[in-house]
Amino acid sequence: MNAPAAIEVRGLARAFGEVRAVDGVDFAIREGELYGLVGADGAGKTTTVRLLAGLLDPDGGEARVLGLDPRDPRVREQVGLMPQQYSLYGDLSVGENLHFFGRLFCIPRAEYRRRVDRLLAITRLGPFLDRRASALSGGMYKKLALAAALLHEPRVLLLDEPTNGVDPVSRRELWELLYEFVGEGMAVLVCTPYMDEAERCHRVGMMNAGRILDEGAPAELVARFPHETFTVEGGAGELDAAARARLHPVLEAAPEVVAASPAGPTLRVVVRRGAAGALAGRLAPLGARLAPTRPEFEDLYLARMAAGGAA
Amino acid sequence: MRRLLVQLRAVVVKEARQTVRDRRMLFMLLVAPVFQLVMLGYAVNLDVDHVPTVVVDQDRTPTSREHLRGLLADGTLEETARADGVAEANRLLDAGEASVAVVIPRGFTRDLARGEPAPVQVLLDGSDPNRSNIAGAAASQYFQGAALDVVRGRLERLSAAMGRRVSFGTIDARPRIFYNPRLDSAIFMVPGVAVLVLILATTVVTAMGIAREREVGTLEQVLVTPISPGVLMAGKALPFVAVGLIDVTTALTVSAWVFDLPIRGSLAFLGVATLFYLMTTLGVGLFISTVSETQQQAFMGGVFFILPAILLSGIFTPISSMPAWMRALTWLNPVRYYIEILRAVLLKAAGPADLALQTGALFAYGLAIIGLASLRFRKRLR
Repeated sequence: MNAPAAIEVRGLARAFGEVRAVDGVDFAIREGELYGLVGADGAGKTTTVRLLAGLLDPDGGEARVLGLDPRDPRVREQVGLMPQQYSLYGDLSVGENLHFFGRLFCIPRAEYRRRVDRLLAITRLGPFLDRRASALSGGMYKKLALAAALLHEPRVLLLDEPTNGVDPVSRRELWELLYEFVGEGMAVLVCTPYMDEAERCHRVGMMNAGRILDEGAPAELVARFPHETFTVEGGAGELDAAARARLHPVLEAAPEVVAASPAGPTLRVVVRRGAAGALAGRLAPLGARLAPTRPEFEDLYLARMAAGGAA
Repeated sequence: MRRLLVQLRAVVVKEARQTVRDRRMLFMLLVAPVFQLVMLGYAVNLDVDHVPTVVVDQDRTPTSREHLRGLLADGTLEETARADGVAEANRLLDAGEASVAVVIPRGFTRDLARGEPAPVQVLLDGSDPNRSNIAGAAASQYFQGAALDVVRGRLERLSAAMGRRVSFGTIDARPRIFYNPRLDSAIFMVPGVAVLVLILATTVVTAMGIAREREVGTLEQVLVTPISPGVLMAGKALPFVAVGLIDVTTALTVSAWVFDLPIRGSLAFLGVATLFYLMTTLGVGLFISTVSETQQQAFMGGVFFILPAILLSGIFTPISSMPAWMRALTWLNPVRYYIEILRAVLLKAAGPADLALQTGALFAYGLAIIGLASLRFRKRLR
């Protein structure tokens, strides 16, 4: 774990008019590390990625990618970007898109063939080489975008919500691809709004309103969690819809509750440590009880959000 | 250097592929200009003839009829109505059924025979000044000639009666027209229309090109590659140089065939001048695309440039009749130089030596605007 930092960000800031999209962010990503930036829409993830890709000028702080300013032309050979929105040419075929970006990176022909063959094999896009990018399904399109971002074999890969709009099977495939490249020593930054994906990262930064609220390995963050989590159950275990509707305002109003969220047929609550007894007392008259459960990453995030972003 | 060429070729191929695949775009670029040229070539016609004329012959004599025939003979005025009185002629003018009224009053022939002044009245609808000028001039010219004939006949009779030859010398101005002897306005206008069509097909399309990539999101992926702004711009513009050259060639071919446009000068020189002109129109397009966030802005920017560029080019209205400050503005207009080159080469067989100023100005303008666009285009999103 002593690999050099591939990405280093210190006090990075960027505002658009009055909106401070990124407001003093610090983090570092080592080679061979998969780092997740988790946050809701508007948290500042995309702006952070664009700053790291050299697409935006920062207002403050600094970013270093492989020791260089991201806007340095020398960095471009080493960085791959997969933007959130459609960024390939819909009226060009899969093969033509790859060829175009391969040429922009001036990859020699023989080398290009070798890499494309490998990427097509692992993304299983080979049979669709002649299909126009606009005619691909969401999952296939994302795999093509990933292939285009990997063509020049970058040492640093930036992925902005790579699984947005992708079916679960393709999603799992995408993550398997990522692990493969990370295993080869690539530094990968993934932005995602999904908590289950955050748990797949080596380390995670929880981002809100342009700041990173907390950072660490997912398991570590869960272990450090200062609260307790419970599921709220009825007499027979599950709660019916009417019971959930009745309980929800009570949980929202209870001072012991940090965050409450629906979890299948039950409700999930994050409760201040040592305050579970008081809450159980409130719920008993309503025919509900608390069952302890293991805190998950989502609980952390919701608790953070509920705390108003204070670290 | 090799890297630059590889990247340039990749962008050109990509751009060409996208253009060829977009049938509507291809139609707009290659077919629509020819249609526009032919249609505008017929429509933009400054020749004034067949002006509807109401004739009021109150004299009703062979002499009055002879004069009316003579007046209408050259086709500038065309008799579309006949009226008995001035009041009725006025009504026809008011109703817009005629633009000119010619009134020969009762006693015209009698007054002529007596050697007294014989007035003829010509009424003109001045709402189209150009047409009224020409119609009025045609009427004056005819009746002045007729008056001269009357005087000449009287002098000849007088000299015969006196038994002495009276010489009859007058000023005789005979204009001789070079280059376009029939004063065919299509020959003057068609090069102008070609220029207009060319600027539409190049400036607006390139202006929208980069704006479209910015809007769709593809620019983001291109910007993270090592390509330099200059290469990207050149790659996006080059396919449209080809489009422009094809358009000019078809425009000249069609004009020669449909409008008898003469091609007297060197086509090679014309080709070079056209390349320089395309540098300016494409450069302006690229520059507009660097200051536009969306395709809509780019389109409006293109129109914002094209309208004054055309109005201040001398295509439709002579630059010499503009106010001084506006004449000064036209020196900033690349379209002005190209239309001067095009007309001079086609009609007067002018060569590089005659048009050094215009050609040089186009080249300098093209370099400057492309340089400015490249400087303006930074590899950032905002």
